[in-house]
This record gives sequence, structure tokens and C-alpha cells, in this order.
Amino acid sequence: MSSMSTWLPRLHAILVFFCMASLLYAVFIYVPTEREMGLVQRIFYFHVSAAFSAFLGFLLVFVGSIQYLRTRKATWDHLAVSGAELGVIFALVVLITGPIWARPVWGTYWRWEPRLTSMLILFAVYVAYLMVRGLAPTYRAQRFAAVLGILAFVNIPLVYYSVYLWSPDQQLHPRDVSLSFEMRLTRYLGYLTFSLLFLYLVQRRYVIEKSANRLAQIKQNLDGHPDISPRS
Amino acid sequence: MNFANQILGILWKDLLTEWRTKERLCPMVFFLFLTMLVFSFSFKSDGTPVEEIGPGVLWSSFVFAGLLGLIHTFAAEREDNCIDALLLSPGDYGAIYMGKMLGNLLFLLIVELLSLPIFALLFNLRVGLYLIPLLGVLFLGAASLASVGTLFAAMAENMRLREQLLPLLLLPIALPALISCVRATGLIFENRPPQEYLPYLQILGVYVVVFSVLSLILFEYILEE
Repeated sequence: MSSMSTWLPRLHAILVFFCMASLLYAVFIYVPTEREMGLVQRIFYFHVSAAFSAFLGFLLVFVGSIQYLRTRKATWDHLAVSGAELGVIFALVVLITGPIWARPVWGTYWRWEPRLTSMLILFAVYVAYLMVRGLAPTYRAQRFAAVLGILAFVNIPLVYYSVYLWSPDQQLHPRDVSLSFEMRLTRYLGYLTFSLLFLYLVQRRYVIEKSANRLAQIKQNLDGHPDISPRS
Repeated sequence: MNFANQILGILWKDLLTEWRTKERLCPMVFFLFLTMLVFSFSFKSDGTPVEEIGPGVLWSSFVFAGLLGLIHTFAAEREDNCIDALLLSPGDYGAIYMGKMLGNLLFLLIVELLSLPIFALLFNLRVGLYLIPLLGVLFLGAASLASVGTLFAAMAENMRLREQLLPLLLLPIALPALISCVRATGLIFENRPPQEYLPYLQILGVYVVVFSVLSLILFEYILEE
């Protein structure tokens, strides 16, 4: 069992490495340049893949939060916090690559466009989630975070729909895109690579969270002990 | 004591306290007035058509004043540990949420209605019957703020940085409701036909229902020790 828990992450890391290398090859060499947008369109493969991973993260927060409130098992809370941190990071990647791509194509870095605005609001909500974890007293942090994790996810369709109603004429993200075979292949490779990367990072983050909790518990136990308390 | 009576009991207690102390409504109304004054100065609003900045000013002021009131939802309970007595009372946690939520809704509505004349004066809003649908928007907006706001107030009450934390929790989650309120208010100011602003009212309705039910379910996880 212990040997499996060491070689499995390593194998996963190697897999992520090879996928990432092939994705880079595919994006910069294999895939043809898009006719209208030119070179900058190549950022698309990172942009959508990161968005996909961000949603995986937010979904993980949602599932972890519900399960934590139901079962009160710390495992679910660890998974939720891992999902939230990674979701925020991937959302940040989306929010950075978006304007880089938008500037030459839409002529401006920022538009109050439904998907763009939704992503920004989601980013803010999950940053608030992480703040709650930091500011609530330890015995309450997990419960409070779980409550917010559920509300935040339910909010997603409402955010999207309200921004869409607000400015449907601003809808600049295409509804469905017809891509050539090479482009589609690269896009799916992007999803695969970023999902694998996401899973790898979640697994690592989970281990850290678990160790941190264990350490906190050991410290607490020592504090109560008069002979070996580190503070005495 | 059935559920409805429990709710009314909590609501009555809060209203009575407010009637005697007036420590929630007075600061809210005065703060709202000052916020509008600041907006009026900073936009130099003399003669500007109200449609342009009016809805934004109105709802920004409501949200700020609303935060001021929402923070107080459980503040009185904290002093002398009244919250413990409240939790020990033979009632449902859901009733505490509903009672507090209805109280907040009522306070928000009163503040909104009192501030409308000030707003009309400062931003030369043409008063008329065409503004009647605005009451619906005001109600739904106040209800959306009260639904999540009450839950978050209970949460913030138990954390460090209480007062500062509530806006950080409430604003991002309340954004879809605020966007809809601002847009619907704008369309009503422009005297547009109802079918144009009806979709926004629908979103607001969905928002209120979804978040009230969710908050009702999740409230006990906030209060449990």
C-alpha cells in the first residue's frame, strides 16, 4: 500500500509531463494558424482548458461541501479546500489569458461580456471562500466554508444568466465553433492535459492539507501535556 | 408553538427592540442620505437625466445602507450572550432564520421607501404613476439582500473582523441580484414596456426563492456549536 501511494503520484506526474510536452508541441507546431485571428488564437487552447479545470475545481468544492456537511468527514473538507485553491488559480489563468487574446481580436482588453464577467464574479466568490477559511475560528471554519461552497456553486447559473440578459449584444464568445480536425484534436488534448494536471495538483494539495491538520492536532495534544508542552 | 408563531415571536421581539432603541433604522436612513449626497456631489448631478446614473446610485446606496443594517442582525444577540438563550428556546433554528430574515426585509423596505423622496429630489426623478413597478423591484431587491444577508450576518458574527467581513461575503454572491435590480430600475425610469424588464424580475424571483430555501436549510450548520 505504501509503495503504491508513492509510485502512483510519480507515474501521474510523468504522465502530466508528457501530456504537457505534447500539448506544447501541438499548440505551437502541429496546429495550423487560424486564418482571421492569426497567431494569437493559439492561446485559445490554454484559455479554454484552464476554464475547464477551474470549473472542475468549483465542482469539487460543491461536492466536497455537501458531503462534508452530511458525513462530517475531514477528507471531504480537505478535498473542498484543494478544489477552491486550484479553481481560483485556474480562474486567474483564464482571466489573464482572456484579455491577452481579446486585445487584438475584440480591440479592447475588457468588455462586460457574459462569460468574462461571470468568471470574474466567480473568482471573487471563491476568494471570499478562502478568506472565510482563514478568518473563522478553526472549529467552525470547515462548516462555514462548506455552507459558502454550496451557495457559491448554486450562484453560478444565476450569475451567468443575469449578465447575459444585461448585455446579450456583448456576447462575443462564440456559441459553437467549427474547428478543423487538427484544432479539435489539440483542444481535446488541452482538456485532457489540464484535467490531469488538475487532478495531480488536487492530490498533492490534499496531502498537504491532511498533514497540516495532523500537525495541528499533535500540537494541540502536546499543549495539554504538562511535561512535554513546547510552550513550557 | 407552531413554526409560524415562532417566526412571529422572533420578528416581534426584534421590532420591539428596534422601536425602543431605534439603533438600526436611524443610522441606516441617515447613512443612505449621506451616500446619495456624496454621489450627487461626485457626479455633479444637476440636470443630468436620471436614467444615466440614477439606477446605479440608487442601488449602490441601498446596498451600503443595507450592509449597515444587516450587520446588526445578530449584534444585539451577542451582547450578554442572548444568542445562547435564543438557541436554547424550544424552537426551530429555521424559525430564527425566518424571523430575522423577515425583520431585515422589513427594515430594508422601510429604508428604501424613505430614501426615494431624497433620491427624487437630488437626481431630479420625475415622480409619477409610471414608477409603481419600481415597488416590485424594491421588494425583490430587498428580499434578495435579506435572504443571503441574514445567513452571512450569522456567519460573520462568529468570525474575526466581523463588520469588515460581511460585505466581502455578501457582495459577490448578491451580484446577480444587484445587476438585475439596476437594469430593471433603469428600464422603469425610462418608462419602457413591462416585457422588457420582466425577465429581470424573474431572475430576482428565482434568486430570492433559491437562496431563501438554501439559507433556511444551511442556517443550522452556522449556529450549531
